[in-house]
This record gives sequence, C-alpha cells and structure tokens, in this order.
Amino acid sequence: MERKNRAAWLVLGLPLALGLAWITHGNGVIQNDPDRNISIPDELTIPMQVQAAFNETHVYFRYRWPANRPHVLHDVLVYQDGEWIKKGGGMPGPNPEGFHEDRVAMMLDDGSVPGFSRYGGYIAIGAGVAGFTSEAPEEVTKSLPGTRIDVTDWASVKSPETLQAQRQAGYFLDLWHWRGHRSNPLNLSDDQWIGEKRGGDSGTSPYTTNWDKEANAPKWMFNPETTGQYALRLDEIPDAQVGPDSPYYLSDNTAVAFDPDHEWKNGDVIPRRYIRQTEGSRSDIKVQSKATWKDGYWDVTLYRQLDTGAPTEDKILENQGLYSAAFAIHRNATGGRWHLVSLPVSLGMGREADLQAVAFSGEQPEWGNNWKEVTLFYPGQVNWPLLISQAHAGAEDIEMGTPVQARHSERQLAIYGIEMEFNDEIISQWRLTLIAGLLTMFGLTIGLLSAFPTRSTRQKGERS
Amino acid sequence: MSGIHHMLVHFPLGFWTLASLMILVGSFSNGRLAEISREAVLPVLVLSLLAAAITIASGFLVWPVEAALSSPLARNHILTALWSLGVFVMLTILVWRAGSNAFDGVRRLVLVVLALTGMSIFATTGTIGGHLVGATTEFSEVLKLFGWDVYNTFYVPIWVVALLVLIGLMCAVAGLLSRRSNSTT
Repeated sequence: MERKNRAAWLVLGLPLALGLAWITHGNGVIQNDPDRNISIPDELTIPMQVQAAFNETHVYFRYRWPANRPHVLHDVLVYQDGEWIKKGGGMPGPNPEGFHEDRVAMMLDDGSVPGFSRYGGYIAIGAGVAGFTSEAPEEVTKSLPGTRIDVTDWASVKSPETLQAQRQAGYFLDLWHWRGHRSNPLNLSDDQWIGEKRGGDSGTSPYTTNWDKEANAPKWMFNPETTGQYALRLDEIPDAQVGPDSPYYLSDNTAVAFDPDHEWKNGDVIPRRYIRQTEGSRSDIKVQSKATWKDGYWDVTLYRQLDTGAPTEDKILENQGLYSAAFAIHRNATGGRWHLVSLPVSLGMGREADLQAVAFSGEQPEWGNNWKEVTLFYPGQVNWPLLISQAHAGAEDIEMGTPVQARHSERQLAIYGIEMEFNDEIISQWRLTLIAGLLTMFGLTIGLLSAFPTRSTRQKGERS
Repeated sequence: MSGIHHMLVHFPLGFWTLASLMILVGSFSNGRLAEISREAVLPVLVLSLLAAAITIASGFLVWPVEAALSSPLARNHILTALWSLGVFVMLTILVWRAGSNAFDGVRRLVLVVLALTGMSIFATTGTIGGHLVGATTEFSEVLKLFGWDVYNTFYVPIWVVALLVLIGLMCAVAGLLSRRSNSTT
C-alpha cells in the first residue's frame, strides 16, 4: 500500500474517540457529597399505589409503597460513659444507623392554590429551602410562592394581615403526614398545612421531645412494669430494627419519668420523642385499623372527616368535588428533602379523576383492587424560583399553564433534579467534552490531508 | 424563533442525508448515478454547511443561553449539532481538496466512515430536537439500549477529554509526518 494511503486509516481515530466517549460518558461528576447536602438514592423512581373512598362523614386514603424494611424508630438518646448522646435525625441521605422514621405525606388542594394541580409540590419549594446546597442560614420549610414579596428571597414574607387573608381565601395546602414513629404508635397521623411555611394545625401535635435541657437528660424512660425494660439496647436493634412485639416508643402507657439514679449502662437507648394523643384540629387524621409493613411493603390507611370544621387549616371535601393531591414518602431511614415525591393527581369524590374516591355506606371501606398507580421520584434540587426563571427553558410553558406531565416524565424529572445538583460542574465538563470532540476532528482532518492530496500534489507525487 | 429553527433544520438534515447517500452510492456502485454522485457531492456538502451554520445560529436564539445551558436535553442537542457540523466540515474539506479523486482507492472508505458517523450523530441531534419539542421517537430508546439515556447530559471524565485531544493530536502528527515523508520520496 502506498505510504500516503496509510494515512487514510487515521479516520478510524474518529470512531475510536467517539466510542471511548460513549462508553465513559456520564462519569466523573455525579457523586454523593454530604458537605453540599447531596445524597442520591439508589432508586430514582419507585411505584406507589393509592386508593380513596368516602362515606357520608369520612374520607379514607390507603397508601402502599415498597420499603426493604420498616423504620419505626426516629432519633434516640444513647447512654455512653455518663452522657446521653443523640443519634438519628435528618441528614443528607440515609441515616447510617437507621434511626429515622418512615413517612407518607399527602398534599391536598381544592383549587385555591394556583398551579398546584399542574406542578404539585414544586410550587411549595421556595428559595433557600432547608436541605438544598444553597439553603438559607435559618431553617426554611416548604412554602407557597404567593406568600413572598419576592419569590427569590426566602425572607421576604408578606405581612401577617395578607397571610391571614390568604388563609381565609383558601390559599394553603392541606398536609396529611403519617410518621412511622412520631404518630403511628398511637394510630395517629400528623395534620399540617403549607402556607408561608409548613406548620401544624392548631392543637396538640402527636409528639414532643424527650429531653430535659436543665438536667441534660431524658424526661422519660420506658416503664419497666408495662414494657419489661428501662431502655432498648443498641446492640439488639441493628439498623434500628425492632421486633414486631417489642415496645419501642414512649407514651402514656409505656413511659414513666426518667430515673437518673437507675444504673444506666453503655448502649442503653431511649427514644428522643414522646408520643402523645393529638388534640384540636391537629387530631383530625387517624390511622384506620393498623399500619402494617409486610413482605417489603408498607400499607397505611388514613382517614378524616370530610368536613373537619377547620376550613383555614384543612381542605373541606365534598361529594362530587374535584381536588388535587400529591404524595411523598420517606424510606430507608432518610429525612428532609431526601424523599420520593409524586406529580399531582386529580382526586374526584365519587366522580371521574386520576384517583377516584369511591362512595360507600357503612363504617369502613371494602378495598378492592382499584389501585391508582403513582410513580414516585427523587426530585433533586429544583425549586420554584428556578422553574419560573430564565434558567428554565420551560418557564414560558409554566406561564401559559402547561402541566408538568405534558413535558416531563417522572424519570426525566429525577435525572434533571440530580443534574441540577451538579449544574455548574456538568456544564463545565460538557463544554470540555464538546471542545475535545471538535479538536479530535480538527486533528484528524489535518492527519487525513496527506491521504487526500490536491491535484498538483498528486501529480508531483506521481512524478516522484 | 422556535418555529423558524424547526423550519430551517430541515435543510442541513436534508443536505447531510443527501450528501451521505451520495457518498455511499459513489463509493459502492458504478455507472452514471455513481458518477453524478461523486461529481455533485461537493456542492451539496457546501450547501449543507451554510444551512447548518444558519440553523445552529437560529437554534441558539430559541431560548436564553442560561436556559439552554441548564437543560440536559438542550446541552445534548448543542453538542451533537456541533459535532455533526464538525464531521461534515471534515468531509467537505477532504472532498474539496481531492476533487473527483476523493473516491479513489482507500479514500472512499474514509468518506464512508465519516458519512456514517455523521449520519449517526445528526440522527441523534434530530431525535433530541424532537424531545425538546415534546415529540419523542423510538430512536432514543435505541440509544438507551446502547447505554445513553438522552435525558442525561453527554459529558466524559477529564481523562477522556485529554485522551480525545491526544487522539486528535496524534492523528495530526501522523498525517504531517506522512506528508513530509511523501514529499521527500
């Protein structure tokens, strides 16, 4: 073969370079980084099943979702060398010792919150929200955009008079919030709302903190007479797993005042929360029968009066009403924003909708197999100010009211949510990749020129 | 500008497809059609570059730069569009330089490799464009089957960036050495 023709084989450098890029793409940037509040779940989407039913007085929601194991312990106090040390609580990703409760939450609206039926929980993620890499210096919870003078400024909360008027006008989301430890042991659910923040309905919450600041010790311990123990033992609850019949929570029936004179041993564990009966509007939602975890699935049914009598804290539901709902779960000992969420679904009370609540007579619904399948996804770090800004190509669509489902799937949103956590790094690496590919082509072109001589060069070559 | 871009994009895709088919016909067949293909491919390539330049420029005006850079799909669309342009610039230069002899001997294989590579990349560009306007195709499922979900930004680790540049550099050096060697013999 002529030497000049050998250069032609350099063209294989292009498929080689592109093949190399293909098999290595997507590596080198995305990784967990607790310092930046980044922890990505192994599964980006999971299925959830929901059913709804109602009778003349109450509405019932049944939720079923996969969880490898139940987490019914929340944060705890562990005795170590004379001190009670807190373990558990929110952190980026799963708590390594398993001390974080499972949860299911549902946001509910009657159409009073513009955008919720189209964008679901995204509208409740404001600037500076806790858990984001750019979280505010103080804890900022979920909130609605209309409660801020400037949506990009988490601190620009509107006046109390305006917020009160918004509340009267129904501008809030009802939040049903079942907590595996902090409500479930007494068959209760927390009852909250989202307005200028995530707050609890008026009344008594299902839990309080088991800590005496002055004594620097717990306030309560297990009642040895009713539970047979003073404390749990850390080495007997690996990954925070307690036996099905083991007393694991403190309440009126299981706790007594803390005894500092008891001979405490290293590894003794006392729950950091005390579970109590809810009162007032906060006591509206309860667990029907008993929440169960079996064969890798949670099965939880919550119920409430259709009309709780608290229209500024709960969404009042009516037969033939059309509402919107969105769901979220915490599992695998995760807390905070490291949850899985759903897009909004329509809820019809005895009428056609994504999720149709079936009318029934009697005390309890008879659930059939008419599940509404919902895909839960990891939302990453995407907030409402970003979505309506110039940095979001779909901002115009939002302005025109195009629903999120029309443009994005749950899987797509999960991928985008993660990429947004590394946006600057990915842009930088993408830019380098783009340029490197073009440089490869440029070098290859120079290399191939000798195999593609001009006519004069060819003639000169032929003469030689 | 979105509508204009959608309209303009037909031109480079049409020219690139035509040029690629002409290269395949010109490389693997004989007769009048092959002859015409070999002779006419250069003007088609030149027109494709003009059309591509205008189309890509219009694409940058569809969204604010900040939005385009923040969207994984848009990033992928930009990357594959510019890489498509790069491959067809290569083809244009080589065909322009060698004229009708560009199809002689092993050179035709160079053109075929580049044409097939270019077709793959611009097909991907078009597919991603479809995603951007909400019209997805099964082709993206094929890409996913081979390891790339188009919703993920296409980027490579820094060592691969270096390797890509090195491959380009080595090809350039090898070609220059070959030229020097040819001119001294």
